Amino acid sequence: MLIHLPIAEIAVDPLIVAAIGTGVGFLSGLFGVGGGFLLTPLLIFYGVPPAVAVSTQANQVLATSIAGASSHWRQGAVDVRLGSLMLAGGLAGSVLGVGIFSLLRYLRVVDATISVLYIVLLGVIGGLMAWESVGALGKTGGDPGRRTRLRGWMRGLPIKRRFPRSGLYISIIPPIGIGFVVGILAAVLGIGGGFILAPAMVYLLGVPTRVMVGTSLFQIIFITGFVTFLQATFNGTVDMVLAFLLMIGGVIGAQGGAAAGRRLKAAQLRLLLALVVLGMAAKLAFDIYVAPRPPFELEALA
Amino acid sequence: MNGSAGPLLCLALLACPAAAAQGPIERPPLEAPLPGEPIAAGLAEDTVEVKVNYSGARIVLFATSPFGEDPATGFAVALIGPSAPQTVLRRTAAGRERFEFVAAPTVFAIGAEPQVAETVTPETMILAGLNAAGSAMPEARNLASPDLALWRAAFVELKMDQQLYSLDETTIERLDGGLRRVRINLPANAPTGVYRVRAVAFQNGQRIGETEQTLTLIRGGMDATLFDLSRKHGVIYGFLAVLLGSLVGLIAAWVGRR
Repeated sequence: MLIHLPIAEIAVDPLIVAAIGTGVGFLSGLFGVGGGFLLTPLLIFYGVPPAVAVSTQANQVLATSIAGASSHWRQGAVDVRLGSLMLAGGLAGSVLGVGIFSLLRYLRVVDATISVLYIVLLGVIGGLMAWESVGALGKTGGDPGRRTRLRGWMRGLPIKRRFPRSGLYISIIPPIGIGFVVGILAAVLGIGGGFILAPAMVYLLGVPTRVMVGTSLFQIIFITGFVTFLQATFNGTVDMVLAFLLMIGGVIGAQGGAAAGRRLKAAQLRLLLALVVLGMAAKLAFDIYVAPRPPFELEALA
Repeated sequence: MNGSAGPLLCLALLACPAAAAQGPIERPPLEAPLPGEPIAAGLAEDTVEVKVNYSGARIVLFATSPFGEDPATGFAVALIGPSAPQTVLRRTAAGRERFEFVAAPTVFAIGAEPQVAETVTPETMILAGLNAAGSAMPEARNLASPDLALWRAAFVELKMDQQLYSLDETTIERLDGGLRRVRINLPANAPTGVYRVRAVAFQNGQRIGETEQTLTLIRGGMDATLFDLSRKHGVIYGFLAVLLGSLVGLIAAWVGRR
């Protein structure tokens, strides 16, 4: 049985769409990432027009993030205060990011910049995480050490506050700053930023991996809600039928991912996330530099 | 143009009105209609409604041959979707090249009987409005471009990849008395609008009759409601999309807790 999507204007198999949602939702619940960086290419590969895929994945990620975050919330593993600070920084950063995106487009280097930035960022983050987590697996299998040189520098910053959920007493500047940088990257790269935010919280702020996942999802709820509303209102590219099908699978997957995460050591979780991020970097590099690309393509209708 | 071609062309131009003045045009045998004259035809359905369960449709056209069961007469039938401007991009070492078609059918499906494929030239098919590539109209400045054929061919290939153009899936079946039953597949991703179903009869490579029917593809049911809401009341649609995501997430959270 096929279902016709009113905005995407294609017919899809609801079981396949729900299965895609389940797989991405599982990763979302497991790692605390939105999963948009996986969902968008999967939807495009299935035949959904890119503009609709980009917008609709935000709506699906909204549902799975709420489902995933609620599971972590019940275990007291969401640091709302820390998440709110990063969210504030993220919203401000995304405004600057939109400006940078416009400038890159004006200079006609947007495609090249995004491709290189994506690969470098994913490769560096994934590589460092894999390196650290493999080392940690041989030791305690827990979180990375809290007294690093970078964190020592951060401890000297003013406006300190307590973040009891994370067990931190740090300046509010680094969380806002991290949110700000992630906001810029999110706007330039067109992603939610969870896969950048999650390691930044662990390695730069020293947030325990267990709290990191819930707090990251907490922030993603607001970002994806905001993006969904803007895309639906101004671009008309959110397909609610497609989003609903993805959500059905996504929320089931997110619950399963959160449950699976509880059975893993923190270092195992970080290593798995590192492998996903590295895999994504490798695929992007392959697509851009190795895979043959068709000489002609149709420009999407506005 | 070389030196001898000019006078020849002048002679040909002068000869035509002279021939017309000599008497009535010589009609083909059996009082067949003139090229382009209408032939009897009708669609089984002239409206297709796109609902949530729409996964494509099969359009059926009945058309009669002006020469009855004459084996030399063949039909070519095309389903032509609403026109829209479209742009083809080409990657080169220097960057990207763009070629704009100011109007090209969004959907094009054609089928022809063997007699047509064997006897009708591509030029005649273009003149009859039955050539997919020829239907893509470039900007005026590009009409004489040496690359026009290349861009048109690339455009048709890309549309075929999207399953919006098909050159061999339309079937034409001969029934008694020269009646033809034509089955055309309308893809699931076809845009709504007014379509033309164009049937042309050929004999010995010459066009002897034609007909054009209109088919309307409209939205219906929930499909139409959601589409209209997203286009006419974007803020409400956006609010509902956020509400849907939140509700599904909260319900899943509640179910997970239990």
